[in-house]
Amino acid sequence: MLDEIINQIQNEFEKDILEADSLKKLEEIRIKYLARNGSVTLLFDKLKEASKEEKPVLGKKLNELRNSITEKFNSKKELLEKSETSAKEFIDLTLPGKKVKLGSKHILTQTLEEIKQIFKSMGFSVFEGPELESDYYNFEALNFPEDHPARDMQDTFFINQKFLLRTHTSPVQIRVMESMLPPVRAIMPGRVYRNEAINARSYCTFQQVEGLYVDTDVTFAELKGTLVSFAKQFYGSSLKYRFRPSFFPFTEPSAEMDITCFICNGKGCRICKNSGWLEILGCGMVDPNVFKYVNYDSEKYVGYAFGMGIERIALLKYGINDIRLFFENDLRFLKQF
Amino acid sequence: MKISLNWLKDYVDLSDLSTDEIVDKLTMSGLEVEDVSDENELYKNFIVAEVKSVTKHPNADKLSVCEVFDGKENLQVICGAPNVAAGQKVVFAPIGTIIPNGNFQIRKAKIRGVESNGMICAEDELLLSDDHSGIMVLNENLPTGKPITEALNLNDVIFEIAVTPNRPDALSHIGVARDLSAIFNRDLHIPEIKLKESKKKASDIASVEIIDSTNCPRYSAKVVLNVEVKDSPEWLKNKLTRIGLRPINNVVDVTNFILHEIGQPLHAFDLDLLEGKKIIVQSTTEEKEFVTLDSKVRKLPKGTLMICDAKREVAVAGVMGGENSEINSSTKNILIESAYFNPSSIRKTSKALQLSTDSSYRFERGTDPGITKYAAERAAHLIAEISGGEVAEGIIDVYPKIIERKEITLRYQRVTKILGYEISKEKIHQILSRLGIALKDINETSLLASVPTFRPDLEREIDLIEEIARVNGYDNIPVVPKISITLEQKVDQQKFEDEVRNIISSLGFSEMINNPLESEWEAKLTGNPITLANPQSVEMSCLRTSLLAGGLNSVKRNLNFGVRDMMLFEVGNVFNKKSDSSIKTFEDISEKQNLILILSGKEEEKFWNTQEKYFDFYCLKGLVNAFIKKISLDNQLADLYYSSENEIYSYYLTKNFKQQVVGTGGKVKRDVLNKFDINQDVFVFEFDLTALKQISPESKKYIEPPKYPKVHRDFAFIFDKNVQYLDVKNFILKKASKLLKSVELFDIFESESLGRDKKSMAFTLEYFDESRTLTEDEVEKDFNYLITEILKEFKAKLRG
Repeated sequence: MLDEIINQIQNEFEKDILEADSLKKLEEIRIKYLARNGSVTLLFDKLKEASKEEKPVLGKKLNELRNSITEKFNSKKELLEKSETSAKEFIDLTLPGKKVKLGSKHILTQTLEEIKQIFKSMGFSVFEGPELESDYYNFEALNFPEDHPARDMQDTFFINQKFLLRTHTSPVQIRVMESMLPPVRAIMPGRVYRNEAINARSYCTFQQVEGLYVDTDVTFAELKGTLVSFAKQFYGSSLKYRFRPSFFPFTEPSAEMDITCFICNGKGCRICKNSGWLEILGCGMVDPNVFKYVNYDSEKYVGYAFGMGIERIALLKYGINDIRLFFENDLRFLKQF
Repeated sequence: MKISLNWLKDYVDLSDLSTDEIVDKLTMSGLEVEDVSDENELYKNFIVAEVKSVTKHPNADKLSVCEVFDGKENLQVICGAPNVAAGQKVVFAPIGTIIPNGNFQIRKAKIRGVESNGMICAEDELLLSDDHSGIMVLNENLPTGKPITEALNLNDVIFEIAVTPNRPDALSHIGVARDLSAIFNRDLHIPEIKLKESKKKASDIASVEIIDSTNCPRYSAKVVLNVEVKDSPEWLKNKLTRIGLRPINNVVDVTNFILHEIGQPLHAFDLDLLEGKKIIVQSTTEEKEFVTLDSKVRKLPKGTLMICDAKREVAVAGVMGGENSEINSSTKNILIESAYFNPSSIRKTSKALQLSTDSSYRFERGTDPGITKYAAERAAHLIAEISGGEVAEGIIDVYPKIIERKEITLRYQRVTKILGYEISKEKIHQILSRLGIALKDINETSLLASVPTFRPDLEREIDLIEEIARVNGYDNIPVVPKISITLEQKVDQQKFEDEVRNIISSLGFSEMINNPLESEWEAKLTGNPITLANPQSVEMSCLRTSLLAGGLNSVKRNLNFGVRDMMLFEVGNVFNKKSDSSIKTFEDISEKQNLILILSGKEEEKFWNTQEKYFDFYCLKGLVNAFIKKISLDNQLADLYYSSENEIYSYYLTKNFKQQVVGTGGKVKRDVLNKFDINQDVFVFEFDLTALKQISPESKKYIEPPKYPKVHRDFAFIFDKNVQYLDVKNFILKKASKLLKSVELFDIFESESLGRDKKSMAFTLEYFDESRTLTEDEVEKDFNYLITEILKEFKAKLRG
């Protein structure tokens, strides 16, 4: 009797498997025959009821049935899976994909991060100081005498006689040196303010990165080495540069670093005012008077310092023609970077 | 400052050097040449031409049709100048010439229907002066057709030099020439004076008294008698116009010439207008009014250093002379003032009067107290020479306390230590000597430098090292290819804010940078603002007290740009006064770093497979919580909700750490948005980043994911409408066994069938244990217990 059932199942399966034209139908077949309650599985339960003599024979037949069905099932499954990609239903693959919203860091932040990364790799720490500063830190301790024309170099927003908005990040130099003994090797990024008219080339606030290294054997030659290495990493290794004497009250000797104008390649253009050079930073050896204010022995210690404006660097690097774009926060601008 | 190359050549031989070479060396030794104007370039093509005839333009009253001979042919040229006349020699710009003023090219053109083949020029078009009243009429003897570079000696090169405030010595032609003499190692020639003096003694004619000798350490005066005030000779006019000065008369022009030659500002008084023929230098003891020679009434504050005669003030010392003693066409006798004033006194006056002149500019930087006598004598000599006057004998020179030359020891080894390379002693000696520094006591290791009084900036050894470095050229300082790194502990005080920017931008926000200066009403919205003493405008008169106003202004700008959907953030410092009293110490100021998040417009746009969805409070909350989780504070901060409005928000949420609020945000009130012209909903959250930085853990610890299976159970209840989700959740967590690890709301709805003031909330509970597989029974037991408790506590009904 079992024989008959086996044949019947076999025939029915042959018919079903032939008609199965999708993986969904195939899954129905699997449930019908091979799952826990499938007809083939249930037949094995009936094997228990068979007599001792019948058992081996029937067992063999049942195994053959199961193997045959499983095999045909698998080969059909493989076939269907292969043809799934060329499915009959129409898929328009040209429909647009999900719109993913990307955030962005401000281009000035990204520029600053790149600068920080270079100096951190050279062993510089990162320090901060307040934007609302005292006259002492912003000017006096940096060797700007009261009533000296050097103070005119930086148009200042005052809060009152004693407090002001810092005009440069250099006051952080004083704060850092007050807090520790040499060796000091640090950069000090931050926002500064200048009471200057707002137009395409100047704004009342911008960001600077200050650098300071004080130790027993620091030289001007090492300052040049460090800044040249920075500039080559940031602007490219083929860059040409020059150091030009300049004046800052808190460094002596003082210099400005120029690089070849990368807009015109040094030939002279509107951006470099026909000089072929672009000024990128100011620097120099820490003036001994500054060391006096922080109680460093200027016979024992020598230091260098430098400072650069981030906006200017980003304007040049990305070919942005109006500094005000940085502060408008037009998303069509922000999202480009 | 404008410097003429031809003029420089009076003092140092530069004949073998190209302009480029001079410009480069000046710039590279600290006198930055910002602009070069080469007259040979500027005036090439311009020629002397003769006007042959002038007739009226047929179609224009104010224009003339001229026949102009350029030396080869007659050309028809239209001219608009009223003074054009036949027979004149004029400056002619042929077709193709570029006009210096405005930088435009002359083309063949029809002007009101008549052809014009060039232009007859006025002085302003050639940048020779501001004069545009008529064309330039030249000396009739000049040869027609000759280039004006030759005919008018317009063959100079003018440098625009930016002199740093530490170099008052370089604010003159001799000053610049001295640097060139050091750079190129050649002699500097300072003009000698061959003074012819009359028998009349200056000291018998006039006298000088210094009362305020602190602010006027030296006052020298020369007297010149019987001068004829008239136009200066061409050579002098030429020198002045080249550097942009307008010639006035021979006396004033000489004083200006001396200022630009040697840097000593002079002032010439009409001696006969000085009461008692006396000069008294003193500071005002009260506020006064005074009319300067530009005919303006100036308010002099108390303590202003003034030059007075026996009765009244006659000049603001070091800044500008007075109208009452000015040189005029009838002046006969003059007194030349050549003084040294205290720089800070002149600076104070100049600031107070908001008046900066060539004189004050030099005095406030520090002139040379040693040069006053020479300058007065040279001026007297020149004036006598060109005005026919006679120089009174001797000089009146009041110099109560002589300012000595400074002496500085320079150690050769220190030069090497600072610069990082060795410069030979010979080179050092040469550079310093060329700069006018006398060398004394030279030995193996050091020298003693005697610094001239024209270099107030050289005070210490380091200042001499800079001189040596700059003259020898910074290019010669080696670039060391390696640096030593001290392995002390590194600090990065910006690590946290950098991480915050990374997290927030990864959540889809774009970073803004707003101007921290804003108007008072904006700053007052969110705090107690700090006001600027000298703001640029009322819109920028206060420091921001939060990032809100800046952010809302950016929202508005984006709306104006047509961008309506936005996720914006900013990290920036905010400033508040701690009390209403004035700011005396840092204790009175609160400066903190904040983070603001802004959502406005649509979260999802309508798309072929999504519905449009607008940002709402729950978007804001979700993003805020994602951020909090990333900085590992999700179990540290408590949420507090306020559905009652405050000044800014119509409903809001605060994040608290213990008792301290570390962040606030919600839906911005309509009346606030109206102030910013924003017509769509805005959701804002602002964190005190300084506080978060302090409480945020330094490092994260790994927690092993559970190994044993989780068991989930769902239930739903009908609650009164005013029951809050969080109360139910907290109640469940409180009552449940420790095996319950999370409670999530997965559905909420209201309907008529539930009842008017009812709502349904459905929860999924998640049970597991870190050390074993749970049994169905223990979960079932807790689950059923919770149902009973919730029914009791909230008078809720279990939904089937």
